[in-house]
Amino acid sequence: MLFGLVVAGIILCAVLAITANRLLASAIWLAGVSALSAILFYMLGAREVAVIELSIGVGLVTVLFVFAISIAGDEAMNAKPLVPRILGMVLVLSLVVLLGWMAVPGFRTADPTTELTSTDILWEVRGMDLIVQVSLIFAGVLSVLGLLSEKILPARAAEKGGRS
Amino acid sequence: MVPAVILLTILFPWTGALLVSITGDSRPRLQHFLAVLFSAVSGAFAIVLLLNTLPVWEGIVPAWVATDPYFSIPLGGAFGNVSFMADGLGVYLAAIAAVIGSLAILFSVDYMRGEKQLGRYYAYILLFIGAMTGLVLTTNMLFLFFFWEITALCSYVLISFNNDDPKAVAGGIKALIVTQLGGVGLLLGALLAYTVLGTYEIGVFIEKAPLAIPAFGLSIAAFGFLVAAAAKSAQFPFQTWLPDAMEAPTPVSALIHAATMVNAGVYLLARFFPAFEGVPGWKEAVIAVGVITALLAAFMALVATDLKRVLAYSTVSQLGYMVYGIGAGGIFASQVHLLSHSVFKALLFLGAGAVIHSIATRDMREMGGLGKKMPFTQIAFIIGALALAGIPPLNGFWSKELVLESGLVDGPRTAYYLMLFGAGLTAVYTFRMVAMVFFGKPRSEQHGHDAGLAMKISLGLLALGACATWLFTGRFGALLAGTLPLHSIHFLGVKELALELFTAKATYLALAVVALGLLIGWQRERLTGLVSLLRIPAGWARDSFGFEWINRRISAAVRGSAGGLSHTQTGQLNWNIAGILLGLVILLILMALGS
Amino acid sequence: MILDPLILVTAGVCLLAGVGLYGLLASRNLIKLIVAMQILTKAAVLALVAAGAASGRINLSQSLAITVIVVDTVVAAVGLALGVQVRKRFGSLDAANLASLRR
Repeated sequence: MLFGLVVAGIILCAVLAITANRLLASAIWLAGVSALSAILFYMLGAREVAVIELSIGVGLVTVLFVFAISIAGDEAMNAKPLVPRILGMVLVLSLVVLLGWMAVPGFRTADPTTELTSTDILWEVRGMDLIVQVSLIFAGVLSVLGLLSEKILPARAAEKGGRS
Repeated sequence: MVPAVILLTILFPWTGALLVSITGDSRPRLQHFLAVLFSAVSGAFAIVLLLNTLPVWEGIVPAWVATDPYFSIPLGGAFGNVSFMADGLGVYLAAIAAVIGSLAILFSVDYMRGEKQLGRYYAYILLFIGAMTGLVLTTNMLFLFFFWEITALCSYVLISFNNDDPKAVAGGIKALIVTQLGGVGLLLGALLAYTVLGTYEIGVFIEKAPLAIPAFGLSIAAFGFLVAAAAKSAQFPFQTWLPDAMEAPTPVSALIHAATMVNAGVYLLARFFPAFEGVPGWKEAVIAVGVITALLAAFMALVATDLKRVLAYSTVSQLGYMVYGIGAGGIFASQVHLLSHSVFKALLFLGAGAVIHSIATRDMREMGGLGKKMPFTQIAFIIGALALAGIPPLNGFWSKELVLESGLVDGPRTAYYLMLFGAGLTAVYTFRMVAMVFFGKPRSEQHGHDAGLAMKISLGLLALGACATWLFTGRFGALLAGTLPLHSIHFLGVKELALELFTAKATYLALAVVALGLLIGWQRERLTGLVSLLRIPAGWARDSFGFEWINRRISAAVRGSAGGLSHTQTGQLNWNIAGILLGLVILLILMALGS
Repeated sequence: MILDPLILVTAGVCLLAGVGLYGLLASRNLIKLIVAMQILTKAAVLALVAAGAASGRINLSQSLAITVIVVDTVVAAVGLALGVQVRKRFGSLDAANLASLRR
């Protein structure tokens, strides 16, 4: 019952995030999706992920969105979608039905086996991934800095334009 | 040690390509230096690889000869392993690619001096050398395809190197489309093998394919590979892309369109011969392709007036000999001919390059009497030409006799006589070419000068090779037989070979035909009756017997469909996502149907 | 009949992915596109965790999910920065204005 409520809440928030006219509302509904998923993670037994989702998904990402929207401006856009709505609906619905048809019967609860703790897996089995993640974060930070810096970029673009 | 050497032979030229392009076109001297350095080191690695097989030369069967790859790097389930094999077929072709590649680059130092965009030129040649060594050393069919396509890409870029010349661009695109079309056959065969055998390993395929794959599937693979080989090696009915590829700078023609890449098709047929041997009609089809190509191309070489086109037609014709040899079961003979041909044809092309560089025209009607101005080039070129015509003791004689002999023993008799006739034609056009370029009176104002030092080194080494490679025939045979147990190769040592050739009547018959051909070439001015008789077929030959039209239509159709498809690329994000979703739905439906 | 919670979650994952994909398909606002991408990856993380819970290897799935979350956050940050720059350069967040493939 509780599962059903949370899942329904997630989907409701997602739909509202997509359909909201104002970007800020969209971002808030997205935070709602994150928060409810964090609860669901906890209920499924994934506690570390729940905490991380709560802090990053609800906290950091929302802050990022609000920050970006405040710079870019919250213009309401009611432009007609390029792809006809009906075509989009049909495509997505057929995809969901197919996915559900293939995925749902495959999920059967198994007896829990003894396994390493998630930190052990993270540090020992998937150490390489961790290194890649760290470098990815650095690359992300650098590119955000590069993109948000205002004075350097136009000059560089002009130089490139002159060369070509 | 060997795995490292294999990887270095492939990766060293690629590193060089990267460095040359980073260097930038403002420092041409450094670019020349880097290109020569990296190609030479890669050539040295390839020779180390060849020397590694020394014990096999002496007849000791090595422990690693099996269907397993020599070493492999696991890469997950989807692509199989990146595996390599240092067996006879691969090692010597890698040596040809890397050594002739470094000689062509050395030649380019003189030939390309002062040209613009050297970075692009050298980077793609180096990329090509690495890909070609990879192509012949890998034992994973998917990676074979991967390297195959890289060589096609390099060939395209280098043919269109003078990209403000519409002829060069058209020639490049034609070559690209035709070879890609053939590549589809290769991919088809590889995927088919994977679905049945569950592996891309060539060794497993050769060993198990005749029994494990149903007859219909195997014949699809066999003929798919034949199409791939014919497209890559410019065989009938795809032969017309190679002459158009002659718009490339001459060292590129020597390396890619004479000595290495066009051999990839012959290599493919030779490598997979044991697997497809039993497919009904396959050997006959291979023989037919070889014979038709050899004769058609020889006729076209007779009437062409562009020096490089004559050489291109003769390359096509000689590749036809190799394909014919494979069809007749003479893997050893065809590989020996491949080796000889790579050496003497690279020599001829580089010699032609020296001539073209010196007088800035490719039209043979404007040449003549160049022998006095370019004595060194003349000697080197004549050595190559004699080898091409099949005059003893040059390497072309031995290998051509071997091919003809294996055709006589195992192939149909008609095909043998046709190929004998082709040998005569070869002598005629070779004589005509040499006479028009180096002898007679100068037909136009020329300021010829002899080749530069770097050119002379390359030419000299190759001329030496044309005189000497036949000495290694026996060793080479031992290497092939020792490392390719499934190919059931019969070979002869040099002494037995000489004994057999010089006691066989067929050899003297062939030599007589060649001599007759040379005589006709010499007296061609006086044989007006014969010439007028041949006027109509000569006209057909100038029009490439109508195949030019077919190839042009293929090229035009591909470009037209590409233009049509480009309308789907709107650049609109939403439509792109709709396309991705549609693909996903189709995939899921396929999966649902499959399960 | 009592529904197995995992089946419920799986069905929810499929629906959530559908919502995200529809958002990508239908919206032209760049920031809205990033919101849709976030929803799509949320569905992926949920699917991972549900699979872990189903197979009893929740910790392995957790370590994978953490990777996805980190990568996703970086993608969101870079995407938002790009959106801000686009707004500055082109004066609009409309993705349709960016199509320069055909002029």
